Amino acid sequence: MLLYQNMIIRESGKMKDALDHLITHEHQIPDKLAVTELKACINLELDNLKEARKYYWELLDRNPENVGYYQQLEKSIQPKDTQERMKIYRTMAEKFPRAQCPKRLPLNFLTGSEFAEKLDRYMRPAIRKGVPPLFVNLRSLYDNKEKLKSIEDIVLQYEKCLLERSCFDETESMKESPTVLLWTRCYLAQHYDIVGNTKLALEYIDKALEHTPTLIEAYMIKARIYKHGGNIVQAAFWMDEARSLDTADRYVNSKCAKYQMRANEIAKAERTCGLFTREGSLASENLNEMQCMWFQSECGRAYKRLGNYGEALKKCHEMEKHFEEITEDQFDFHSYCLRKMTLCAYVRLLRLEDSLRGHHFYFTVAKLAIECYLDLYDKPLSDGNKDSLASTDNLSEKDLKKKKSKQRRAAKKAEIQEKGKDSKDVNQKNEGSEENKLDADTLAKVEDPLSEAVKFLKPLQTFCSDNIETHLQAFEIYYRKDKLLLMLQSVKRAVKVNPTHAKLHECLVKLNKKVTSSQNLEESVVEVMKTEMKPLFGGLDLLDFNNEFLNKHKFSLPHQLAGAAMMYLLEPSKQSEAISIATSLGEDMNERTIECKRALLLPLLL
Amino acid sequence: MNIRCATPEDLMNMQHCNLLCLPENYQMKYYFYHGLSWPQLSYVAEDEKGKIVGYVLAKMEEESDEAAHGHITSLAVKRSHRRLGLAQKLMEQASRAMVECFNAKYVSLHVRKSNRAALHLYTNTLKFNIYDIEPKYYADGEDAFAMRRDLSEFTTELTKSIAAVKIQ
Repeated sequence: MLLYQNMIIRESGKMKDALDHLITHEHQIPDKLAVTELKACINLELDNLKEARKYYWELLDRNPENVGYYQQLEKSIQPKDTQERMKIYRTMAEKFPRAQCPKRLPLNFLTGSEFAEKLDRYMRPAIRKGVPPLFVNLRSLYDNKEKLKSIEDIVLQYEKCLLERSCFDETESMKESPTVLLWTRCYLAQHYDIVGNTKLALEYIDKALEHTPTLIEAYMIKARIYKHGGNIVQAAFWMDEARSLDTADRYVNSKCAKYQMRANEIAKAERTCGLFTREGSLASENLNEMQCMWFQSECGRAYKRLGNYGEALKKCHEMEKHFEEITEDQFDFHSYCLRKMTLCAYVRLLRLEDSLRGHHFYFTVAKLAIECYLDLYDKPLSDGNKDSLASTDNLSEKDLKKKKSKQRRAAKKAEIQEKGKDSKDVNQKNEGSEENKLDADTLAKVEDPLSEAVKFLKPLQTFCSDNIETHLQAFEIYYRKDKLLLMLQSVKRAVKVNPTHAKLHECLVKLNKKVTSSQNLEESVVEVMKTEMKPLFGGLDLLDFNNEFLNKHKFSLPHQLAGAAMMYLLEPSKQSEAISIATSLGEDMNERTIECKRALLLPLLL
Repeated sequence: MNIRCATPEDLMNMQHCNLLCLPENYQMKYYFYHGLSWPQLSYVAEDEKGKIVGYVLAKMEEESDEAAHGHITSLAVKRSHRRLGLAQKLMEQASRAMVECFNAKYVSLHVRKSNRAALHLYTNTLKFNIYDIEPKYYADGEDAFAMRRDLSEFTTELTKSIAAVKIQ
């Protein structure tokens, strides 16, 4: 109650009053952590650095693993140079030898030889102990090319010395156990995976597995390398290998199911998940009941890839229902919290509920739903062609097709099985109770897919407006609805987020083309479009605009692809030139990812 | 890795982490129930991107006939983030809050009889003792060990620090 009172005072901006209030009532508030955090934070805000410092040291004594405390402490100390900054962490490391933060955080700001030395000291014990997350803990440093190099040098040096004389370096006399070499190689495999050298990564992980064929983590690394390399079928195979070595661990089970789903093996994935769900009920049903959104969104995406829009949309609507349910849940807590007097948490909950659909799970599901509806608008399903659509719609490359159709058959089989069970279960469960049960077929035969898509779009526009995808999706919807002004709104919002996004370029070109080719527009609309579009295109005509775009982003594959696609759109006669742009892969290209390559070729080959 | 007290915003991500790692799952409402009743007791460990890699979901048992004590509803650390001591660090923070905020005398939890790894963690690292066996505690019919850890060390520490403040 007192903390809530304090929260109100703070939020009205009266920091000094809040501090006085806190000090007066301190002894009545049992939540010591909250009190200290508030005193520290208010003092910092009021520029009472000395006081703030004291409280942050106190907080760190309590919890030496809180990154925020270190950041705030630095603000209150205002260290003049790296040496002074390091002093904070040295003090903490001595006081709490087992704490990770004081050892890890300095690696973020140190550079050169100091960085290398501290890194060495950070890595050795972790490799010796076989700490699996060592790599993920260092990964954020990879954004810095110099640090990346430094890490690579050190670990290669370890490997060399370990091979020669079982030590970390040449001067060391202490012999290491053979598992040290094993973990060093696991690290190198992950390292080369992330820098894009799949071949070397696989070599290292195979060496590691040769040494210890029972190391689950190594199989997981191998699976991830294949996933990044674009071979999702192999990735799923190796993840299943990892899973089979520890069937009691749900984490590796979940990962395996996720990979299987990515490989479009829906039935297999459901069986995998079923090993951990309640016996006697369907895995997908149990996971739905438990609001298991990662599973549902992966599953929905797999169905969409297979052209089964009905099932994909069913998953989307199931997830939408979870969000609705969660929103409704809060009402039960209104009177409860008043009784319990946990007002601060309650107010935070209310604020959270207001923006619940800003959660990335919602973003994923909404994006998927919109994509499904757009596809359904472009190629509506008639009664008979549901399956033929799935097969003609897919990639034209032969081998891919073969693989796909095989998977499709498997999925269909599973679907039929599931449907059989499904209907049985449902009959048993809700005898006539639930009225609007989701039916995949009905969902796929939607009358007006675009308005359905807009329903998923609205929350994104409210809560995910800083994500460019929101506006690109909005554009695609309004493009099909011929709503020029809303298209304009979408591109303008997208420009605000990231003016150089490759997809945005496509939107701009399409918008411009649509405007110029539209007839019978209202004059006011024409006027608005003219004035608004001028700055967007820098006064260039459309062909020049596209050429300039291609020139400007010579070394970015996504941009080249977008440019090539638009070249074809504007001048169909230039198809071959467009394809040659899209398919040329210079060594100097950035972001040469396989997904990219796939995405791009599709529209051109039509 | 960052360890901090959980906020209502974390609850949904805790549910996600739970579904990935553990066979015992709960609907969002149950997470809200914890987060709104005892907001001080649950902690999360997050990676540099703010993704939750481990959590402890805790509550108080406040029936009048027993001494006040805390209860660990769920504790999980992703397999990919093991061996950093996260479980222990999360538990230390939660236990301390139980003593400070609710005057808890001990903290209890249940563990599957067959879950050797967890049993080892609770007994050897986290200083819990087996207090009782609850037959058929789990939905699938498995027995549970009821375990407890005495929290008097935190109480002593707390009394000391209060005394120190008074002297100042």
